[in-house]
Amino acid sequence: MRALKAPFVATITVLAVGAVTAHAQGVSSNSQKRALVKTDAVTYLFPEQVSVPMDKPSQVALHFRVAQGLHINSHTPTDDFLIPTNFSIPEGSGVRLQTATYPAGTVMSLPIDPTAKLSVYTGEFVIQARIVASAGNHLVEGALHYQACDQNQCLPPKTIPVAIDVIGK
Amino acid sequence: MKSFPLRRNTLVLGATLCILAIFAWAGWANWEYRRQESERLLANAAQGELVPATGGMPEFVSPLNGKPAPAFTLNDLNGNKVTLASYRGKAVLINFWATWCAPCKIETPWIVELRDKYAGQGFEVLGVDTEGDDLKKNDKAGWAKAAAAAGKFVAEEKIPYPVLLDGDSINRQYGGLDDLPTSFFVDRKGVVVTVQVGLTSEQDIESKIQKALSQ
Repeated sequence: MRALKAPFVATITVLAVGAVTAHAQGVSSNSQKRALVKTDAVTYLFPEQVSVPMDKPSQVALHFRVAQGLHINSHTPTDDFLIPTNFSIPEGSGVRLQTATYPAGTVMSLPIDPTAKLSVYTGEFVIQARIVASAGNHLVEGALHYQACDQNQCLPPKTIPVAIDVIGK
Repeated sequence: MKSFPLRRNTLVLGATLCILAIFAWAGWANWEYRRQESERLLANAAQGELVPATGGMPEFVSPLNGKPAPAFTLNDLNGNKVTLASYRGKAVLINFWATWCAPCKIETPWIVELRDKYAGQGFEVLGVDTEGDDLKKNDKAGWAKAAAAAGKFVAEEKIPYPVLLDGDSINRQYGGLDDLPTSFFVDRKGVVVTVQVGLTSEQDIESKIQKALSQ
């Protein structure tokens, strides 16, 4: 037993030193926070995969979330100069977007100018996409184009990928 | 008794593997820390911070505060080249905006009014259209469309000061214009006096103009 004690103590000592050393590295996930707020105004939530009858129109509900404190213009903004939210699927992907039905926007105005009305999405919203898929497995990279603001400032227009695995059976 | 050396060897082997695993993890952790630190420094290099101001309105502390405003030459809506240097001797408000920016549209009439009020004291505004669409230099159709959209905005808002296109090309020098509107208040010697990011108030803009004129 006494012969076992020395290597056991040595192992514990090394593990303790290693733990202190590793902690001192101070690896942090906080460095991404500012970038996250600025670049991830909208996130695609689900579905990641859908099975639909091949060559027949099928409805798919696409769920998105707008970051807290931000809003994006709805598909039908109140002014021509505002950039609408728009979903698209590229041609040649094996899946065709027949129609996309967007939710109605919430009407809001900026505190500093209550007379100017905006039609926006906040929080979670759903786009109903009517798609037609050919037979087979299609990894579709759709796109959501939007432009986000908070109450005082705006971020540039952005397009995010909407990746869905569409199986046409 | 014969099993004893085997047990000891197992313990030694186990301890050795643990030590090696810890070193490997520490090496990865060190590399990850350096990578994140590098990213943080890069991100902070040109970005400012909002700090509480004594007047109640948070001020944006930009790395350009107290430094010469970065030089630029951009085209106006008629294709004429306009350089910042040609405004030396005047206090200048360099106002970055975009046609799709609702807060920009709200503050524009205030800026027009203040420009008219202080023009006689040697104050000018340069509106810089920053659409964030990364148009290529040879995209004539794209640039024509951008100029038309900006021209429409200028006509609707009755903007009397120069409006310049392609603000995206000087984005980096001015700290990465992620948020619009962003305004740089420059004194007569070409030094950035203060920076405002986002919509504020007409009174606040006026106080910043007065500060730029008084330097």
